[in-house]
Amino acid sequence: MISDIAKNLVELKKEFVKIYAGQSQIQEFIPKSTSQLFPIEQSHLDLLHEFATKNPIYYNSFEKKLGSVDCIVYEGDINKYWLNSIQHGSSKAPFSPTWMMSGYVGVLFAKQLGYSEVIDIGSGDGRIAYCAKILDLESYGIEIDDMLVDLQNLLTSTLNFHPYCADAIAFDYSSLNLLRPIFFIGGLAQMGGIFLATGVLDKINSISNLKQNSGWVFAGTLSQKYAQDPKNAAGWGTLIEKNNLKSIQNVSLPAAWTFHEPDDVQYIFAESIQ
Amino acid sequence: MTFSDAISQMFDSESQKLQNLIDTANSKTDINIHEIVETYYQVMNVSSMATMLKQQPDSEPNSLLPKIKETEKMISEKFDSIIHPKILAKISASIQEMTKNLQSGNSGEKPKEQIESNAKLFEELRQTMSTKEFVEQYEKGISHDQ
Repeated sequence: MISDIAKNLVELKKEFVKIYAGQSQIQEFIPKSTSQLFPIEQSHLDLLHEFATKNPIYYNSFEKKLGSVDCIVYEGDINKYWLNSIQHGSSKAPFSPTWMMSGYVGVLFAKQLGYSEVIDIGSGDGRIAYCAKILDLESYGIEIDDMLVDLQNLLTSTLNFHPYCADAIAFDYSSLNLLRPIFFIGGLAQMGGIFLATGVLDKINSISNLKQNSGWVFAGTLSQKYAQDPKNAAGWGTLIEKNNLKSIQNVSLPAAWTFHEPDDVQYIFAESIQ
Repeated sequence: MTFSDAISQMFDSESQKLQNLIDTANSKTDINIHEIVETYYQVMNVSSMATMLKQQPDSEPNSLLPKIKETEKMISEKFDSIIHPKILAKISASIQEMTKNLQSGNSGEKPKEQIESNAKLFEELRQTMSTKEFVEQYEKGISHDQ
């Protein structure tokens, strides 16, 4: 069922791209209500809308029927966060959010796989950690950019997804008392993701029992614009092999930067080889 | 027309094109990104041609040697030493200025139209930053050659 939601989201994105006539830097949609294509609890959809409505990166919204689905389209601008990140050199990859619906679907998979905590590494505005809380998982957002953490703190009043302003490769994960965590790594392999993931993997592997119990979600791309990995996995194959991980799920989902791209983000779910 | 005549003519024509671009870059104070990229590509194009022609085993292209040397001198003394540092300084100053302007206009809520109009300025800044990276890559090439 979750795979169907993911496929339906990708298909509806294609419809959206065809008819979208706005000029915003980023744009995405969230279905208004539960439907055959998106059998998602209404209360969850309402919380997704609440996040987008409260989030200052979005400056406009309007209703739009996409295919057979009534949606709200959100238009946003993240330029000031980009400018801040390049000024301070704080982040390895500039903030470019996944879609809210993609974050939600990604966490649905994580929950189905049996994980109990979501740690969003390079959490941006905290949307993946927020989605985890909607789905009753414990969650934490680790973000190095203080301006983005301020933004996250604005958004925690509905659901506290525990934003931390920290360098993810120096963060003390043992302080979170994690049992069965899954780490969402922000940033494509080719955009600083490998460096970030390697640093976090090293930290987690040094905590007893956590290595075997942890899951990983890597954001990859099949786009020819980016150098491909000889072991594939959308840029992550070599890292997966080197760290004795195995890929257990691969799902394609839209993000802000894939709006004009034919291929969406490949989310690679991986876990330790037992 | 013999093969070597054709090559000679082509090298002459490409060198002349480069000379014109360098003169433009030298005289203009407001050289745009398109002109910068075109000039660097032509420098790289002519440099590659010169290297290739010097490596030709037969003696015919030797008649081209004075022209090749003259062109290489122009690249080294005029472009690498004068124009390239000037362009790099101009791009760096322009990035600083654009960044400052965008930062100062970043506070407070703005209407949709202004946000979308500002987004074009951010796009311009990103393009200028990419051009700077491209120009810096050229500089790395020069330092490797020395």
